[in-house]
Amino acid sequence: MSDATTTEERITLEVTRYRPEQDERPTSQRYEVPFHKDWVVLDALNYLKDHVDGTLSYRWSCRMGICGSCGMMVNGVPKLTCAAFLRDYRPGPVRVEPLANFPVERDLVIVLDDFMEKLQAVKPWIIRDEERPLSEGEYRQTPEQRAAYEQYSMCINCMLCYAACPVYQNKEEFLGPAVLALAQRYNLDSRDQGRQQRQELVWAEEGIWDCTFVGECSVVCPKHVDPAGAIQQAKVQSMIGWYRSFLMPFGGKSERE
Amino acid sequence: MRRSNEPLFWSLFSAGGVVAALLVPVLIVLTGFVVPAEEIRFDRLEDIFTNVLVRLVLFGLAFLAFFHAAHRFRHTLVDMGLKPLALQIAVVCYLAALAGTVWAATVAFR
Amino acid sequence: MARPYPRTTSNTWWLKRWPYRIFILRELSAVFLAAYVVLLLVLVSKVHDGAKAFEDYLDVLQSPLLIAFHVVALLFMLLHTVTFFQAMPKGLPMRRGEELMPPALMIGGNYVAWLMVTVVVAAIFLV
Repeated sequence: MSDATTTEERITLEVTRYRPEQDERPTSQRYEVPFHKDWVVLDALNYLKDHVDGTLSYRWSCRMGICGSCGMMVNGVPKLTCAAFLRDYRPGPVRVEPLANFPVERDLVIVLDDFMEKLQAVKPWIIRDEERPLSEGEYRQTPEQRAAYEQYSMCINCMLCYAACPVYQNKEEFLGPAVLALAQRYNLDSRDQGRQQRQELVWAEEGIWDCTFVGECSVVCPKHVDPAGAIQQAKVQSMIGWYRSFLMPFGGKSERE
Repeated sequence: MRRSNEPLFWSLFSAGGVVAALLVPVLIVLTGFVVPAEEIRFDRLEDIFTNVLVRLVLFGLAFLAFFHAAHRFRHTLVDMGLKPLALQIAVVCYLAALAGTVWAATVAFR
Repeated sequence: MARPYPRTTSNTWWLKRWPYRIFILRELSAVFLAAYVVLLLVLVSKVHDGAKAFEDYLDVLQSPLLIAFHVVALLFMLLHTVTFFQAMPKGLPMRRGEELMPPALMIGGNYVAWLMVTVVVAAIFLV
């Protein structure tokens, strides 16, 4: 389909197609799109949908790396397609597949119910023993207190870490990197008093203890959240809590910091 | 709420990892290359391994190293696909580590 | 009538990308650790058994198989040391106020400790 009079460079995409109403399993379809050195993979997909094949389904929104919608596998690596430059994959072909370790709804769209359930289960919001009345004003936090959890608050729920995690691949019950990092984010927040409520999940086997510190989650994270680090820190805290409960079995206070 | 007992094994794994990282490389060089090269006299070795402190360190190293290896190996087998046998693997690995530790005690404190 | 394609699990995931292969090698270093400690304990028990037993065991230690084992074990243990030291700051971030201690500082500190232990142990055996 190339125009003989133009010297426009092209690049080939190998895109996963899956139409449940007609396909038994996902297949790969090749498309040729123009190459522009400032295009990202998402641009190529949008061109594809607008000009070549309108039936392709995929998620995207902000196209600037903050909404977390456009995560897919690009040449086998989990990436935000709005942050994956075509020029890094020259001359191609570029393999674009749905985010790994999730069921595929259609084409490049995955079913993310599992993640959503786990996220809610870990209660990612400020939990207070007693809600503070408005009349008492705002919570105050020093820069140090803010710094303690800030890194983990950067998570955009893009789920690239789940696609990179071999533990999650083989054990769906595993809470997973982002959820555990977010639990840690709230546990470290000075305004939060809900650590005990999260502990049952976080300190369980399917919480931090399934993690074997492969570390790929932190490598692929586009916001440098370092979920692997969060999980290891939670292991240290859990270990201290465990020894405390042995050495001070009647000290209920030990759970409560 | 049943708390996982993982923290115990993980703490042994961590301690074993530190001890192994610090002590084992030099020990491998000494016992794997220098000793076979007959660069260390027998009486020297005898003095070293009958020293009380050395006995304690040797035992501690063996205990932590065996539990470190058991923990890591068990998790690796699960990671590599043996999840259905996870419980059996854990039991076998930690029992082996315990057996190794008992044997290490008999050797270190002879 | 949505029919999501189920997620695929794989037992050969660790072969597929280089970081995963290194992870598995890192984890398998523990096998060599255990094997070496066994050999170390055998050596010590031979020393306790007396000069004759020790001399006999020297022949075993000098065999190509055992030399090769120690070479491989050393490589794996160095892999362990490097990756373990690198991992420690992740689990134990040292924060003073708003500042996080640079991980390189803790990693460097680990290597200093490693050097000190190595020198002391070598001195015990050689000096």
